[in-house]
Amino acid sequence: MKKYLLYGFLIITSVLTLIPFFWMLGASFMLDGKASVFPPVFIPEPFSIIQYKVLFERLNVFRNFINSLVLSVLVTLFYITFTSMAGYAFAKYRFKGKKVLFNVLLSSMIIPSQVTMLPLFLLLKYMGFINTYMAIIIPGLANIFGIFLIRQYCISIPDSLIEAARIEGATDFQIYRKVILPLAIPVLVTLAIFSFLGTWNDFLWPLIALTDDSMYTLPVALSNLMLEHTKDPELMMAGSVVTVIPVIIVFLVLQKYYIKGIMMGSVKE
Amino acid sequence: MAEVILKNVCKIYEGKNKVVTDANFTVKDKEFVVLVGPSGCGKTTTLRMIAGLEEISSGEIFIDGKVVNALPPKDRDIAMVFQNYALYPHMTVYENMAFGLKLKKVDKKEIDVRVKEAAKILSLESFLDRKPKALSGGQRQRVAVGRAIVRKPKVFLFDEPLSNLDAKLRVQMRTEISKLHKQLEATMIYVTHDQTEAMTMGNKIVVMKDGIINQVDTPMNLYNNPVNKFVAGFIGSPAMNFLSGKIIGNDKLSFKSNGGSIKFELTANQSKRMSKYSDKEIIIGIRPENISIEKPNENSFPVEVNIEVIEPMGNETFVYFQLDGIQFISRLREYENLFSGNIVRLFIQVERVYFFDKETGDNIN
Repeated sequence: MKKYLLYGFLIITSVLTLIPFFWMLGASFMLDGKASVFPPVFIPEPFSIIQYKVLFERLNVFRNFINSLVLSVLVTLFYITFTSMAGYAFAKYRFKGKKVLFNVLLSSMIIPSQVTMLPLFLLLKYMGFINTYMAIIIPGLANIFGIFLIRQYCISIPDSLIEAARIEGATDFQIYRKVILPLAIPVLVTLAIFSFLGTWNDFLWPLIALTDDSMYTLPVALSNLMLEHTKDPELMMAGSVVTVIPVIIVFLVLQKYYIKGIMMGSVKE
Repeated sequence: MAEVILKNVCKIYEGKNKVVTDANFTVKDKEFVVLVGPSGCGKTTTLRMIAGLEEISSGEIFIDGKVVNALPPKDRDIAMVFQNYALYPHMTVYENMAFGLKLKKVDKKEIDVRVKEAAKILSLESFLDRKPKALSGGQRQRVAVGRAIVRKPKVFLFDEPLSNLDAKLRVQMRTEISKLHKQLEATMIYVTHDQTEAMTMGNKIVVMKDGIINQVDTPMNLYNNPVNKFVAGFIGSPAMNFLSGKIIGNDKLSFKSNGGSIKFELTANQSKRMSKYSDKEIIIGIRPENISIEKPNENSFPVEVNIEVIEPMGNETFVYFQLDGIQFISRLREYENLFSGNIVRLFIQVERVYFFDKETGDNIN
């Protein structure tokens, strides 16, 4: 009985959560004015891809889509590279000031990102990176959250694995690339998802750092669209679908790599 | 293969914690040397210093006649087998064994030959495509050994490789490693806390305690002529029995235990050697097998004991009793008619009694 109640509750909350999503999907395939009715309609009648045509042909959202994609992929790659190196170093290397440095970095977590936006903007302006991809990539290179997560994961990797590789002749970089990285795949994938979603969905920072229309990312371009086309909910929903679909794909593809017992069998605990 | 020499090797942590003090010993070419001692005695640290995984605070380590103090592990031409196997979980057995050779950029064909050869020696041929998680403990340990073999190193280092295996497998692997040593004719240094492993595997045993090497000798010499009370108690299973007492008399010396439950006359030879201990407190040591129920010879003295526990092992029986309030154990041939609570007369062979200085613990026999 308890099981049925639980399933019932889960089904109801899932449906409630998915209703807006399905409405968005349905509305994006409707003709102008068809979505603004009550009670809301979910199935487009007639089915039309006109909104997507407008989006890509007239409003040139494709350029913004590419901006978002390139930036999200690049930021994710750099983020994974730098956080994994730093996290590994903090977990497995002995160097002077390690604890102090790590604690200073950790304490920076309490500073809200909005507070750093102005100095960051000025810094990037001074470097000449405003309105370039670099303005998005550089602040996203690494953060303490990622470093912390990787460090915690690397701590669980036995030292003997690293020592065995060292005895076998591996250099520090080879150990990182051939032993640590493959073992850290679950946590790297988790972080990659966070980073990709964060960059893809970010609105405020691209709005500040990118000033040219052609450099806008999808969320910024869509918000501009909203101001111009407030009376076109169908067009808005088509824009939302274009924004959401890649995120869902990335999540679905990578979710199977989510943290799992990859370490099993390596060492006897 | 090569000789390994340690000269006054010390390891001090954070400038004050001395974990290894003046380690001196030589591992000859093709020799199997076992470092043995209780946990925390510095044996693993010594092995790690030979491997280059720990820096040496002072002293020198030679491998094949060359000082290796400053050499990184990869340039020492050694291979190490870890207690927890340390297999790369994302690689197959083949890849695990080939990893070191690939790093050295050895020709692929040569890698294949060497891996398959090692797999054959270790009966791992049918597991080459498996990942470590699909192997049993014993198989994993064999892969770890195989990873060492394929590199054909000058020296093999083993850090308690069998301590994670169950008792039966441990005995099996023990023989396999001994066979491997003969087959490869390799220099091997093996760390263990298990004195049985040490006794059965090593050509030579280094007994350590609190970072200090107590004795370096062959297994039988360690057993028969331990330099001190620690070595005497550590080597041998069940362990030697100890009892405090006093040497009394002038010419013909006797020993009397403090509680009075043992009193015996020393042999002429013993009296001669022990003359300077007359009227002094000492400790005697008696191995369990030197206490018997039948009088072995004229030079034996009897003790009346109340049997507390009997442990029949099939081929032999362990009998526990107390002397002067101290737990004693004797190893008797099968005695089906002995029961706990029995009062029996046991005999101790005088010439097999060890004498130790009460202050220093040194063997003064």
